[in-house]
Amino acid sequence: MTQQDQNMDGWSLSAPGIHGELVPMRDWSREEVDVCVVGAGAGGGVVGAKLAEAGFSVVILDAGPHWDPMNDFISDEHASTKLYWTDERITGGDNPVELGTNNSGRGVGGSTIHYSMVALRAHPDHFRRRTIEGAVENTDHRDWPLAFDDLEPYYEEVEEALQIAGPTFYPWGKPRRKRYPQREHELNASANVLVRGCAKLGIPVAPSPIATLSAPHEDRPPCVYRGFCNFGCTTNAKSSILVTYIPRAIRAGAEVRGNAMVARITHDSRGRATGVLHFRKGSDDLFQQRAKSVIVAGYAIESPRLLLNSSSSLFPQGLANSSGVVGKYFMVQSSEQVFAKFPERINQYKAPPPGGAITEHFNRTMPGVGFVGGYTIEVIGPHPVDFVAKMAAGRGLWGAELRREMFDYNHFSALGMVGTVMPNRKNEVKLHGTERDRYGLPVPHVIFSYHENDKRLIKHSIVKMKEILEAAGGTDVWSDHRTSHLLGCCRMGDDPADSVVNADCRAHDVPNLFICDGSVFPNSTGVNPSLTIQALAARTADRMRDMARRGELW
Amino acid sequence: MRSTQEQDDEFRSSYPNYNVLDKWFSPDWDDQTRKVVRDRLEKVPPIRFFSETEAQTLAAVAERIMPQPDRTESGRIPIVPWIDEKLYEDKRDGYRYEKLPPQRQAWQQGLAGIDETAGMLFKGRRFVELDAESQDTVLKRIQKGDPPGEIWKQLPSQSFFEHMLLKIVVKTYYMHPIAWNEIGYNGPSSPRGHVRIWEDGLDPWEAQEEARRR
Repeated sequence: MTQQDQNMDGWSLSAPGIHGELVPMRDWSREEVDVCVVGAGAGGGVVGAKLAEAGFSVVILDAGPHWDPMNDFISDEHASTKLYWTDERITGGDNPVELGTNNSGRGVGGSTIHYSMVALRAHPDHFRRRTIEGAVENTDHRDWPLAFDDLEPYYEEVEEALQIAGPTFYPWGKPRRKRYPQREHELNASANVLVRGCAKLGIPVAPSPIATLSAPHEDRPPCVYRGFCNFGCTTNAKSSILVTYIPRAIRAGAEVRGNAMVARITHDSRGRATGVLHFRKGSDDLFQQRAKSVIVAGYAIESPRLLLNSSSSLFPQGLANSSGVVGKYFMVQSSEQVFAKFPERINQYKAPPPGGAITEHFNRTMPGVGFVGGYTIEVIGPHPVDFVAKMAAGRGLWGAELRREMFDYNHFSALGMVGTVMPNRKNEVKLHGTERDRYGLPVPHVIFSYHENDKRLIKHSIVKMKEILEAAGGTDVWSDHRTSHLLGCCRMGDDPADSVVNADCRAHDVPNLFICDGSVFPNSTGVNPSLTIQALAARTADRMRDMARRGELW
Repeated sequence: MRSTQEQDDEFRSSYPNYNVLDKWFSPDWDDQTRKVVRDRLEKVPPIRFFSETEAQTLAAVAERIMPQPDRTESGRIPIVPWIDEKLYEDKRDGYRYEKLPPQRQAWQQGLAGIDETAGMLFKGRRFVELDAESQDTVLKRIQKGDPPGEIWKQLPSQSFFEHMLLKIVVKTYYMHPIAWNEIGYNGPSSPRGHVRIWEDGLDPWEAQEEARRR
């Protein structure tokens, strides 16, 4: 029996670690709990575990299975598509976003099951972009209602919990008060390429902070450089939410229920959330979970979709949407990738895809470049199925030429960037007029077009990545368009008229409703967002605990 | 027409003696991965979604996108059955371009469109009846976005070609162990990982490269 089947009988892992013993799942179904969390990913896992440890009764629901790493994760690209959110979504705009793969997750752990583990802090400037960069036409990028200093202790807290492996000195962002918990990882061949190219060009480069163990920690062994990080880690070296915060939540008495798709949030006549209605696998019935507060943590598409699907006579525009900005200011992070061929064997399938090296040299607003914002350059390591799709799309190659070019798969090395994207009201997630999913719920309709500023930034990054690869000795350089990391749609702000939540991730309109994921970002940062989402969630848990103590939560 | 020898040379891999399946019982393969790959090798699904005509057209298209003239019928990597299974089960990808219809409809229209364009460019002949060069002409027109035909007025040909047809054919090819062999891919790696991760660093169980072509 696999873990997926067991879940249907109401069973869950006690601690999905190496030992993997099973205990009966905590079942709060018939009671009103303090907190119901929707989504067991980077945001929901952290906030749920911390509140359970603070003594709250907690239920965490996820639409996908409760994975058992040693049995459910497969060393195969195609078989691992089950880790993604593959229900239909309609994608449009001038630059329709490819969804359902790297930017989605379904199952306990969310997309941290397959993320690349790049664990970066945002810079203090990222929280004050409007102040620093000024107004930019046709966008509404703004300062966050909180500052880097508000999050700093929480960055430290989650870095400790995830045992981030990083260098003694990391040259970008605010200087660290504490060292990374674990030593940095070895560099793989592609990381050496980045280091070599940057050294030639005088671009600073550093070991990359990564959320996988470089030394044993508790019952988890160090990373053995399998290189299948984007398909689920079978050895538990990877610090996903599934093997870090979820076991803590379960130990503290939380119910963690997989295969539970939340359809709507219910509320009373005063407009306070009263719980959620959800579908469970194998049943057409709607189950109710009563809760004194609800935390939505479904990421930038499912979170706004759930709020919009929860409209009622009291909230005709959708729950917590009196501002009308739920679903607006949808952002991706640009993520262009550049490839080059080398005489040496690179074997890009080995070791964690971030390789172990990074440069944030261009992650700042630079004078004279014609755009605001910045980007990070990282190493990637696609396996053949992913790689061939990029080569076919990026170069328009097919036929004998493609098959022959693929013979050199082991000689390619690649860089990828993570860039800021401007928030634009026209980019949005809305409910589709006619399409329905398998639960009968309106599917999301995602509209996205790049801003002129975004296009200039992308162009700049491609030139820089090409220069680096060529300086390192690469030839046959080509690039592929790609996006990553979905942000926005429930942005935070001080003004209830044009934002959805406040700095505590609390909905302006519904005081016992919180949103805890990438959807609250009012602008994008030039770094991978997971660590910031986790730090925000850790902070939100503390704020909720303090509010409850003061009697201000319910 | 080129000789068989030339075709063999055209697709001669740098890893002629590497077979990823030799590692089946090694610490690189765990039980769940063995099951997935065994099913891929032994349980090739029957055609249940496509009509016979559609399946023939797609097979001919797949042969142009990922040609395998160097292989016998039984030694080829199957492509059409896996695309058929995806459509039969209607397994989605998590997104659909708003200008494209649901995938089943898009595939039926697209394959009919390929035949329609073939007929308009080449005297009423079907795609499967064309020589390789003419088939490539048809596919290039579809890729470029200016193929003749009524069907392409409803279905954006470029989008169908790039986002659906091309992507799934190449991905299906490289999910097969035979494809892993010819590119020297290490394949599954659980629980054993890697030690020699630097340039030209090879663990003893990785593919040895011989006589690189370029």
